Amino acid sequence: MADVVNVGVNLDAFSHAISGIQALRSSVSRVFESLKDGMKNRETLEGREKQFIAEFQDNLQAVNRDLNELERLSGLVGRPSESHPLHNSGLLSLDPVQDKTPLYSQLLQAYKWSNKLQYHAGLASSLLNQQSLKRSANQMGASAKRRPKVQPSTLVLPPQYVDDVISRIGRMFPDMTIELFRPNGTSAVLLVTLGKVLKAIVVMRSLFIDRTVVRGFNENVYNEDRKVRKLDSPKSNIGVTDHATTALLHYQLPQMPDVVVRSFMTWLRSYIKLFQSSCQRCGRFLQDGLPPTWRDFRTLEAFHDTCRM
Amino acid sequence: MGVTCVCQVPVAEGKSVQQTVDILHKKLEQLGAVKQGSFCVDCETYHATGNVSGQPSKLLYVMHNSETPLSCLALFEGGPCLIADANFDVLMVKLKSHFQNSKAHKVECRGSRYRYCDFLIKVGTVTMSSSARGISVEVEYCPCVVPGDCWNLMKEFTQSFLGPSVPELPSVFAAKPEGLFAPADSVDTMTQYLELFNKLRKLQIPGSNVR
Repeated sequence: MADVVNVGVNLDAFSHAISGIQALRSSVSRVFESLKDGMKNRETLEGREKQFIAEFQDNLQAVNRDLNELERLSGLVGRPSESHPLHNSGLLSLDPVQDKTPLYSQLLQAYKWSNKLQYHAGLASSLLNQQSLKRSANQMGASAKRRPKVQPSTLVLPPQYVDDVISRIGRMFPDMTIELFRPNGTSAVLLVTLGKVLKAIVVMRSLFIDRTVVRGFNENVYNEDRKVRKLDSPKSNIGVTDHATTALLHYQLPQMPDVVVRSFMTWLRSYIKLFQSSCQRCGRFLQDGLPPTWRDFRTLEAFHDTCRM
Repeated sequence: MGVTCVCQVPVAEGKSVQQTVDILHKKLEQLGAVKQGSFCVDCETYHATGNVSGQPSKLLYVMHNSETPLSCLALFEGGPCLIADANFDVLMVKLKSHFQNSKAHKVECRGSRYRYCDFLIKVGTVTMSSSARGISVEVEYCPCVVPGDCWNLMKEFTQSFLGPSVPELPSVFAAKPEGLFAPADSVDTMTQYLELFNKLRKLQIPGSNVR
């Protein structure tokens, strides 16, 4: 705290403001206490009511007074100067036109707000975890109801850690090879080759999966212009791409992103028998010319898109 | 560029070749396939001359496929094969002294090409010296490259419009090692066509006067 506070802050006014806050709190609690106690015993009903109302008004006026005092004091405190800019974004503070484009201060406020939000969300999620709201006992990978949130600690993972996690997962599955590229900055792009069946391009943001596209085994995946390729892709691949996107939205566990990646890869690996398996529900291989492209998230069984429950 | 299977369809009882082909077209259109033009596969036979007498001369087959219009395939039955440029035909003319063309044995297969979802279906009439010999159906499943994986899938599809007669796994695929992987060229397809043409050629003589 001490390094943030310097000449711009009036220490005296600061301590007065703190005591002003305490006074405000006590007057507010006095209001609620008097409400709780209710009317005191007097001879007539009118007398009781009058006394109650008078007391209530006094308390509210005290609250008002304290609030005004606090506002006056907070005006005197001043704001800490922003002379410790955060790394590269501090270059934004060099803009001299501070009134029209207060970019840097808005940026700081946005960061503070999001930090507070994550902190509260973390507390809320730990509380909710204690009371299990799910009807089934299945824990892993089926936590679709949780609000997807990101924490700054898992967003700024070093690339080396991401590489390690990915290579560990790649070694787990012998028939699936994962190649890692970093074409634009620190986001990893994985090229997952599944046996001789298909190739999937998975775009990640630190350890969270952002987007996936599925291509056939023979198709050229190194092309820049992906729009053209998508039209040529067989219909089954387009179906699998949609299902893969659904899967990455389904597998969400903000605290343990490597578990998420592992369960997503396990799910993707079930596609190695894309052309060999028949639908569990109707028993046939083809439905409107398409093989069973849906894989259940828990049991990894194959279903046609139109046959899934 | 996926797994291809070529099979022969017997002519329906009491109907001509053309009528059977029309029936197949109708069934495909009922299924929802879209016609996408026509195709042609042809095969010319060359005798290798200058061999030691007493040995049967080897036959060289030069085949073209409208799917790959810029290339042609030269193969010996059961032996090595070569994929060459379209100018290979001109080269064969130059090699007249070593390889003689037997023009009477030229076989052609022409027909229309349909597309249904990820399948490519080609129904064609096989003709030899302008007499129709039989009907061929080629089914290609584009997304998959491993024949062993999708064989059941293709069988189910073929049965849906050809009827319950079950085509069996082509011998080309059965003979492959290492997990039945079909590389991205048309050798397997053309080998299957060659087998079909030879089978129909042997049927040529008396009796089966198919018109």
